[in-house]
Amino acid sequence: MEAKGLFNVARKEFIGHLTSKKFIVILGLFLIISALAMHQGMDYYNNRLENYKEQISQIKDVEGIEPGYMPEKPTIMLVFMFMSSYIMMLGAILAIAMGFDLVSKEKETKSLKSLLSCPVFRDEIINGKALGGTLALVFAMGTALLISLAMLLIFSIVPSMNELATILVFGIVSIVFLLAYFAIALMMSTVSGDSGSALIYTLVIFFILGSLLPLVGPTVAGMVTGEPPERPAFHIQHETDESEGPSIKEVSEEEMQQYQEELRAYWEKRRPITEAFNIISPNMNYQKISFLISNPQIYSAVYEQSSPFTSTGYFTGGGEAPGLQEVLGKVWKNILALIIFSVVFFAIAYVKFMRLDIR
Amino acid sequence: MLFQRKYVLALRRALYKYRYRKRSKGGEQEGEEMIKTENLTKEYNGNKAVDGLNLEIAEGDIFGFLGPNGAGKSTTILMLVGMIEPTEGKCIINEIEVARNPLKVKAIIGYLPEDVGFYGNMTAEQNLDYFARFYAMDANERKKRIEELLELVQLDGVSQKVGGYSRGMNQRLGLAQALLNDPKVLFLDEPTANLDPEGVFQYREQIKQLSDEGKTIFISSHILAEVSKVCNTIGIISKGTLIARGTLEELKNEFGRVGTENLRIIVETIEPLPEIEHEDIISAEYSEAKRKVVIESKSDLRDYISSELFEKGVKVKEMRMEEPTLEDVFLSVYRR
Repeated sequence: MEAKGLFNVARKEFIGHLTSKKFIVILGLFLIISALAMHQGMDYYNNRLENYKEQISQIKDVEGIEPGYMPEKPTIMLVFMFMSSYIMMLGAILAIAMGFDLVSKEKETKSLKSLLSCPVFRDEIINGKALGGTLALVFAMGTALLISLAMLLIFSIVPSMNELATILVFGIVSIVFLLAYFAIALMMSTVSGDSGSALIYTLVIFFILGSLLPLVGPTVAGMVTGEPPERPAFHIQHETDESEGPSIKEVSEEEMQQYQEELRAYWEKRRPITEAFNIISPNMNYQKISFLISNPQIYSAVYEQSSPFTSTGYFTGGGEAPGLQEVLGKVWKNILALIIFSVVFFAIAYVKFMRLDIR
Repeated sequence: MLFQRKYVLALRRALYKYRYRKRSKGGEQEGEEMIKTENLTKEYNGNKAVDGLNLEIAEGDIFGFLGPNGAGKSTTILMLVGMIEPTEGKCIINEIEVARNPLKVKAIIGYLPEDVGFYGNMTAEQNLDYFARFYAMDANERKKRIEELLELVQLDGVSQKVGGYSRGMNQRLGLAQALLNDPKVLFLDEPTANLDPEGVFQYREQIKQLSDEGKTIFISSHILAEVSKVCNTIGIISKGTLIARGTLEELKNEFGRVGTENLRIIVETIEPLPEIEHEDIISAEYSEAKRKVVIESKSDLRDYISSELFEKGVKVKEMRMEEPTLEDVFLSVYRR
């Protein structure tokens, strides 16, 4: 395949995206909201940092505290946790806006015939469009990350090398997520007769993948596994002596252990069903990845224990936060799912475009 | 009825092939063969849009491709320019088979599609520059060529974006795009459909100029007057099959007399006309106080009428034999 045509198309598409009004408007909105989310995230981070410092000083003051116990130091990735929820909504809309009329508009304006009359292969055109769009998304995400880094520095928060690496991974994963919706929009643009239909179909898919599937998963899991086992918290015992009234009996250790076993089995049964639905939702995959990257300690407490609650009924946090490598090891399936999404939808767009009836 | 029509079409095709081969052997063809199709067929869902089309067009020809809507004109052009692949048969341009080397062919041809379209968010210059980058042209060459072409189609100095162009301006820009690579062969699909009279006039001039440069031009149209004005050979296609081909004169001779073998002679005089009698005259209709007559006859009687009127001292203002138009030819081909 000759690359000259591919790069010519990619160059035109990239410039076309950057100069298009819809891209500028949505990107502007995306950047403003990202900056606000960052600001919100930084407040949260600073509060957590204050708490941490307070706890540390208390530990030093109070005698008899277990020497191994140390409170969790907040990471600046918490700031990006706030940003990811906006990427999931506005970023996806930006990606859809960039892709939904890439081919259909050329069909409508008849510019596709003019383009195909030039010495260029069809695959160069569709690959060039995908490459141009990808570069524009990289530009959008890169700008958002640069702004966020600048904001961190303005607020005198200097990330360490490890944190910088994590921010980079977060950026790459965000791009892969955006590419999934870009690929869906490009596919619909190739398949649909006009841009209006392409946009509607893409939004329907966005709604199904982003909102419906995350609801369907737990519902189906609930239907299959039934209600969770009831917690044998307290027994109310009616005494024969009326003057004393009912008395509350403590749960025995044995009962609690049995309950824990049942609860563990329940969650073990429920999780694969929910995950099966979540893995086909780019939003859920991205949410899981970004949450784990930005807040690994809480994530492992929520998702990796059989039940998120201890026998005392309290949320378990604490412990050593996993490193970036360990985190990536935990979410590789989700990253792969996002990549597969992009590849599959782009492959459909490619095949359809190669067979497109030009009449 | 359908069978009869198919039978007539098949006979006509066989007759055309025979004549064309004879003429080629006889050395009547002027230049080298530039465009050739062999048994070209395109099927869509089992329906043949083009059915075994055999066509040969010499270098430097201006070939008019006529046919009603749905006859297979655009499908033929799309196969010739390498945009769709034939189901059967092949297209050859300048001895290159299109389906095997579409890019090689596209490098030497120019194509103006019907309802040509461009990128509305770019200027004419930006559009042309984008398309020119696909050809082997450096930045200077591109700039120079684009300036020349925009001047040719009178769009130089137009700074507005193409989205604001009229259909006529779009069409003119389409011609400029088709000429970007200085093509050897030019395919024009309904080139005057969106042009105003001034635009049509300019288009004719441009076609003449391009023909003088030795380019082979293939024009598909259903505007018969336009084809008759610029083309030197004509092909008529119906239901995907070529049913007539030749120069305009040849077609007029063969198909020109619509539904009759008789001739019509129109005579206008200054004095009132005397009665004109001849055994070949079938009818004579006098009008304008006997100063005009339309004579239907079995043979060309212009010499006879002229001497009769001269002998009787009647001064002739005008005398002509009614020529069949391309429209007559076209209709005749379809009605037979």
